[in-house]
Amino acid sequence: MAIADLSLLDLCILLPIFILLFLKLIVRPHSVNIQIKSRHVFITGGSRGIGLELARQAAAEGARVTILARNLERLKEAKDYIRVSTRIDVNIVSADVCDFEAVKEAVESAGPIDVLICNHGIYSGNVVENLDIKEIKSIIGINLVGTFNVVKAALPGMKYRSDRKPVSIVLMSSQSGQVGIYGYSAYSASKYGLRGLAEALQQEVIAHDIHVSLVFPPDTETLSYTEEQKKRQPLTSMIAASSSMMQTDEVAKKTLNGIKCGSFFVFCNFKGLLLYIGTAGVSPQRSYLMAFVEVVFAGVARFVGLCYLWLWYRSIEKWHAKRNIKQCF
Amino acid sequence: MAFSDISLLITLCILFPIFTLIIFLKLIVRPHSAKIPIKSRHVFITGGSSGIGLALARQAAAEGARVTILARNLEKLKEAKSYIRVETGIDVNIVSADVCDVEAIKKAVESAGPIDVLICNQGIFPSNKVENLDIKDIKRTIDVNLFGTFNMVKAALPGMKNRSDRKPVSIALMSSQSGQVGIYGYTVYSASKYGLRGLAEALQQEVIAHDIHVSLVFPPDTKTLSYEEEAKKRLPLTKIIAASSSTMQVDEVAKKALNGIKSGSFFVFCNFKGFMLSIATAGVSPQRSYLKAFVEVIFAGAARIVALCHLWSWYGSIEKWHAKRNNK
Repeated sequence: MAIADLSLLDLCILLPIFILLFLKLIVRPHSVNIQIKSRHVFITGGSRGIGLELARQAAAEGARVTILARNLERLKEAKDYIRVSTRIDVNIVSADVCDFEAVKEAVESAGPIDVLICNHGIYSGNVVENLDIKEIKSIIGINLVGTFNVVKAALPGMKYRSDRKPVSIVLMSSQSGQVGIYGYSAYSASKYGLRGLAEALQQEVIAHDIHVSLVFPPDTETLSYTEEQKKRQPLTSMIAASSSMMQTDEVAKKTLNGIKCGSFFVFCNFKGLLLYIGTAGVSPQRSYLMAFVEVVFAGVARFVGLCYLWLWYRSIEKWHAKRNIKQCF
Repeated sequence: MAFSDISLLITLCILFPIFTLIIFLKLIVRPHSAKIPIKSRHVFITGGSSGIGLALARQAAAEGARVTILARNLEKLKEAKSYIRVETGIDVNIVSADVCDVEAIKKAVESAGPIDVLICNQGIFPSNKVENLDIKDIKRTIDVNLFGTFNMVKAALPGMKNRSDRKPVSIALMSSQSGQVGIYGYTVYSASKYGLRGLAEALQQEVIAHDIHVSLVFPPDTKTLSYEEEAKKRLPLTKIIAASSSTMQVDEVAKKALNGIKSGSFFVFCNFKGFMLSIATAGVSPQRSYLKAFVEVIFAGAARIVALCHLWSWYGSIEKWHAKRNNK
């Protein structure tokens, strides 16, 4: 009896230790730290929202910042805002991420990039049958193809940089890039696509000490978000309420911290952490401690995921039932 | 005697939570399971003139479905139609259109008639490092594989929603194991296939009230003509890493796909490694079977360990390959 108890107890203590040590040996790629002070940070979609906040914080930390967007007036306002806030001048360059030649020129004029943050993005929500086909094309074009354009334009300069310090390519995804929800088919598709790009890209560029990060902000209080909120479908609002909203400066702070640690997945709040564990899949994990957390809580995270799905599908059922009753009368 | 009491206690302590978990999952899994019959129903397959699409068309026809296959090339469609006639004695409809052409797809769907099972199977897969991929190829891949699927779904949806027979219907999207993990040389193919998941998850929530069921199929490398062509041009590292998964025959993949569609499964995997990948990447995807949900919850941690081991192997190969090249 004592022997059986002891073995079970030993197992409960030894197994986690064994897993932890095993993970320490196998996690790849190795961990890395990316400096941003005195380095060139290039941010697309940098004239507003999360991009503007990232630019302001990076400049305040001593980085040399370039912000890219389409609208020159907004870029000038952004530059003024950052100067007032930090007394630092950022570079501004106007180009459409969907225009590869324009992006190439913009990247060349800005000079070698150390931290590339592909943050541009548009989002509109509606059920797929009511989404305009042009809108779908735009969302996928800007959010996904646009990111390929920016990465392709910046990559040669990053590979053949003269200083051999580690550099970073950051893709701004969304919690919608971890789970598709009612009304967000096109936006989710474009953000999920960034993960395919990120996972493959990391394997292609690791040998050049280039580190890829994929950031998953929740709903963030920006002008675009406030605009989009007004037009949201009721069911989208209900389901999206499962995650909490954050302020742009918190999101930017978490993003920059994640980039500096070279984390592949960067989450911004507690629900983001749960989502991140639930959707770890076959994504790289550089920290053996985070890997341990992922392994231990993977089952719990899936269980929580299933509970949310139960909640969402029930809401959908109830909403439709109510609507059908109204239509009968 | 005391020893067996303790053993009994331990056994109960393990069995009781397992039993409770299974019951709880049985109560909460959503959406509810569904069965989609295909016999005597209209199955519409894009990219149906070759490869997996052609095998799907042949098998669906053999099972008694009324089949329409869509592709761009009319000659290939005619050859496919003849092939299916020879194999099964059945005539399928053929319609020529480019999935990226909004008007053409609308016309094609209208001419084919109400669809019961829509299988978006079209796809192209260029492979190369992102810096060597042509911008036009990147755009074309995302257009065909992702935008083209949106186009098809939008065209077919009104007819499916307003169908006269109220039996369950299905929208099946042909993804790939590259849509579950991105690997060296497959940035754009992976991106386009991952994107299908975002569409599928959102779409299922949008259409469930109309008894429309979405399936996402994840085949591994499949022995088709396109695959043989692409394999010749594959980068060495892509070959090494892709070898972690096994290749399957077209007929096996089509069979697994059809079975998955008929059982209304959201994720459809085709082999054992696919099964493991599905557990690892379950994320917040719907699971209609409480038993599969149980397996996912119990083995999630193990699946993540296996995934981390594969990553260790892949990054190790990448490191070695570059070291060898630098030495040379």
